[in-house]
Amino acid sequence: MAGYILRRIGLAGLMLFGLVCLTFVIANVAPSDPAALAAGPDAGRSQIEQARREYGLDKPLPEQFLRYVTDLAQGNFGRSIATGRSVGTDLARYFPATLELVILAMLLGVLLGVPLGVVSALRKDGPVDHVTRIFAVSGIALPPFWFGLLLQLAFATWLGLLPTSGRISVFTEPPDPITGLLLLDNTLRGQWPLFREALSYIILPAIVLSLPCLASILRVNRSEMVEALRMDYVVAARAHGVTPWRIVMVHALKNAMLPTLAIIGLRWGWMMSSTVLVETVFDWPGIGLYAVSSAIAGDFKPVMGVTLIVGLNFMVANLIVDLLYGVLDPRLRRA
Amino acid sequence: MNDQLSRRGLLGGAALLAASAPGVSWAFERDGNRKVLVFSGNQAVPVLDPHIRYDWSTRMIQQGVYDALLKYEGDPPRIVPWLAERHEVSPNGLTYTFHLVGNAKFHNGDPVDAEAVRFSFERGLKLNAGIAWMLKDFLKPEKIVAVDPRTVTFTLERPFAPFISYVPWWYIVNPKQVMANQEGDDLGRKWMTENDAGSGPFKLRRFDANTLMHLENVPDYWKGWPMAEAARPSGIIYRIIREAAPRKAALQRREADIITNITPDDIEQLARVPGVAIENHKGSTTFGIKFNCQQGPTADINLRKAIAYAFDYDALLAITNGFAALMTSPFPASMAGHIDVPGIPRKDVDKARDFLKRSGTPNGGLELEYVHVQGLEEARRVGLVLLDSLRALDIKVNIVGQPWTTMTSRGSKPDTAPNMMSIYVTPVGTDPDTVAYQYHRASWGLYYGTAHYDNPEVSRWIDEARAETDNAKRMALYARIQTQIVADQPEIFGMVANRIWARRDYVNGFSFSPVRFTGEIDLYPLWVAG
Amino acid sequence: MSAIAEETVAAPPRRRLRLALWLLTRSFSSMLGLFLVTAIVALALLGPWIVPYPDDVQGGINLANKLQPPSFAHWLGTDEVGNDILTRVIIGARISLLVGIGITVAAAIIGVPLGILAGLAGGRLREVIMRFTDLFLSVPGLVLAIALVAALGPGIVNAMIALILVWWPGYVRLAEAKALSIRDEAYIEAARVAGASRARILRRHVLPNSISPLIVKMSMDIGQAILAVASLGFIGLGAKPPTPEWGAMISIARGYMPDWWWYAVAPGVFIYLAVLGFNLLGDGLRDILDPRSNRG
Repeated sequence: MAGYILRRIGLAGLMLFGLVCLTFVIANVAPSDPAALAAGPDAGRSQIEQARREYGLDKPLPEQFLRYVTDLAQGNFGRSIATGRSVGTDLARYFPATLELVILAMLLGVLLGVPLGVVSALRKDGPVDHVTRIFAVSGIALPPFWFGLLLQLAFATWLGLLPTSGRISVFTEPPDPITGLLLLDNTLRGQWPLFREALSYIILPAIVLSLPCLASILRVNRSEMVEALRMDYVVAARAHGVTPWRIVMVHALKNAMLPTLAIIGLRWGWMMSSTVLVETVFDWPGIGLYAVSSAIAGDFKPVMGVTLIVGLNFMVANLIVDLLYGVLDPRLRRA
Repeated sequence: MNDQLSRRGLLGGAALLAASAPGVSWAFERDGNRKVLVFSGNQAVPVLDPHIRYDWSTRMIQQGVYDALLKYEGDPPRIVPWLAERHEVSPNGLTYTFHLVGNAKFHNGDPVDAEAVRFSFERGLKLNAGIAWMLKDFLKPEKIVAVDPRTVTFTLERPFAPFISYVPWWYIVNPKQVMANQEGDDLGRKWMTENDAGSGPFKLRRFDANTLMHLENVPDYWKGWPMAEAARPSGIIYRIIREAAPRKAALQRREADIITNITPDDIEQLARVPGVAIENHKGSTTFGIKFNCQQGPTADINLRKAIAYAFDYDALLAITNGFAALMTSPFPASMAGHIDVPGIPRKDVDKARDFLKRSGTPNGGLELEYVHVQGLEEARRVGLVLLDSLRALDIKVNIVGQPWTTMTSRGSKPDTAPNMMSIYVTPVGTDPDTVAYQYHRASWGLYYGTAHYDNPEVSRWIDEARAETDNAKRMALYARIQTQIVADQPEIFGMVANRIWARRDYVNGFSFSPVRFTGEIDLYPLWVAG
Repeated sequence: MSAIAEETVAAPPRRRLRLALWLLTRSFSSMLGLFLVTAIVALALLGPWIVPYPDDVQGGINLANKLQPPSFAHWLGTDEVGNDILTRVIIGARISLLVGIGITVAAAIIGVPLGILAGLAGGRLREVIMRFTDLFLSVPGLVLAIALVAALGPGIVNAMIALILVWWPGYVRLAEAKALSIRDEAYIEAARVAGASRARILRRHVLPNSISPLIVKMSMDIGQAILAVASLGFIGLGAKPPTPEWGAMISIARGYMPDWWWYAVAPGVFIYLAVLGFNLLGDGLRDILDPRSNRG
């Protein structure tokens, strides 16, 4: 087991290095001149040349790469060329916002996806099943950016129930973060008005982000449940008068747990990546918005940083799922 | 059983929604018994350091936190004394002497003295970023002298008429605070990114580069406040909302008191909302489409003229719903020395065809590239207008949005510069040199010099005008320069769009000055009535 | 293996097809998918001949007519330069469909041979191919595509290149798994012993067995690729104007919310229906062709 874990971690490390190479290559195929960006709009030639030296852009690419890798090894993501700010500091500031969004969306996905999956399995091939099926596929088919706009239109503009965008009111000066997750921090501190405020900002983006995940979880639970209901022992239990409710709780959910877990693992990294769209729509100050605004400005260090962070999340989530599978289901343990 | 399950799910959802409906806060927020004003725009403020960076949002905050020797005010812009109560120039135009006010204080209580002024200019020149280009070629750090605590002199390398017009952008920082926070030999650069070492009317309370700036009012600001003491707001929040629609919604819901970056179509809508007032002023930012004058088909002046005559100028006004003025010269109308150049092209398809016949491609049949800054909606739509206009000449247009970095890098050399490139230029001062210099040979390759326009005579006149101390002669030179540039048609002279803000009608003290950037306002005189 | 699947594999082609069709028609959601896909394909094919204002997609502008609400002359209203929105979304179907199919086919062409190669060759070659695939799979697709397009410059072709680059690894995985599972089957062993060449084994056994899951995956992926291109368009990294790409249209329309909300609604509905169609169809096909892999 220990050998397996080590091997997996080693592989993840290797892939992370691959990712670093990949992002570096991408950032340097751009036909743009980052020095001009660094020097500012009205800069003359001498400022541009100075910026080039300052950011090490005058060095040959292999040397720049070496420097980037050694910096990364020390946890230094470099400086944004457009703003001169440290990418690491910015990432640390924006990551909690994204994390909070992803966690809440994931929770919504599980809490709604599991019961809906069970229901549609119990009513297999009936109207409810078809409706949930279309709902589930819609979860994947709805363009998140468009759906987000519609929700904004309905709940913020027309009904006036929720704020349009942002993470919290500008007048609220949140106390020093404990975890950086506003909902959690305010729960820990027992500050319910702030909690409600934060919730009102996060709910729409979380719903939009949760849909694809909800759909996957729904589908898995449905098929697991359908299979479970066909099992001999379930049929036997039914014949013995065990209530359907108990059958669902005990057998089906137990069966669905592992695949649901796998989906959470798979979707975790995926959601981190698709927050890009949701954050853009809701002006959510997370790493996705940071990546998009930097990419549009042609500022690659932040984009590289975000790609690495999201990639790391991808890998760690997959690793954890694999290991958990190993623990929970020894049949799947491979050498 | 199943029904029970699903019903429970529904109830849960409903409870969640009800719990999350906030008590929407109407009207301006209060801080104690004073109001906080909220200004919303689309652009972040990544760096507060006044010697490193400027753009409209950044400079607006810098102007709030810092003071300069002089300040621009009003429309037409005037330069008024600020930290310097008066200044004089030596007859040879080389030495400028500034006399400081005695009572100015930095936020930490240190006095603003001549040494602080000297240090700030020296820092700006040494960091060689942001504002440095304005003075770098004319002022050496060692030629700035603090004569006594209230007198500082600048001796220029050679006469430079626009000098005074740049001084208001050189903000004064507190040398003690800066040097106390120096890391290595960075002149406090890292610390200054998010910290305030100023003497301005506001001090920094919260800084979150991508979300908001909270500026707090300095109650005993050395220059006093223009509004009644009771009306003085407790501070100003600059809130970044990137998209036009939510920004507009924020104003309507009174979550913001003033907003900028409004689409022309929204202006008409907002004007009809009760309680909203529109600030609509003539701007100074020119929008032009620069040709590549050295390489490719547009090196041919006849083709350039043909395109300039085929272009539908009225469509520019339609795009902006009339909130713009067509350019009548390479200079914006607000600039000193501006003349209406006679015969500047307007749409005339017959003339366009005539010029096309004289060009290398008499029947058209070519495709030209039009590059604009990615994400700039107005520039994209102008591209569509261009595409539509040039169909009459059988010229195709390939509209390409590119990031600013790619544009500047392509525009830096004649062989990579696109055929046509749309560029906005905001003059940084009131001196005509700031606009004229983009047509100088020395501007080749810089973003405003992507046309690679070369007329040795024009370059020579620009140099002469720079050094000319007799104002009348200077202005005559600029008139000649403008006429010649129009004749050479290095670009399609487009429009100067109006500067537009929408504010709640209880916001008072709004003061416009065309010398500020698009969106930028002076925060100092603002207050809230009622 | 369930009874249906066994039958699908064992039955002669003609009967297999009939059975598949029959199964398909029995499922409401699959039929809905089929209907939507047919409708989109029809729009894409007939587009230029049925749209009311064909000039409006080529950059004709009519500023006097901008931002009109839906009316009899313009069923879905007009956009910010006075173009008919209905015309533009219909022509947009062509672009989205072409791009969606293009990306998927290209990704399959790159991925499938690599996967089969990895599966059949085994050893070090397999290790290299699969690690490389894992690297791309472990990268957040959308973020990587954004970075790529930002680097290459926006435009529909670059968006396609970026998406193909993030899409092919899925096909390697699929083909490799299939090749692996078949390699050890007794009948392949038998064929090999009987002296069949590798190419023959590939042609006669591996490919036919991979085809069902491939069709299912491709059908699903066309939908997802349409969505991905629209997402890039929405961020501002997609098609260049005046190309009527759905995502780019929403991106512009967004600036005209909420007063001109219908502008954003139309292209969104089209994206949704197109992606829904391909997904439902893929789903239905999977139930018939590849019932074992019925997973989320």
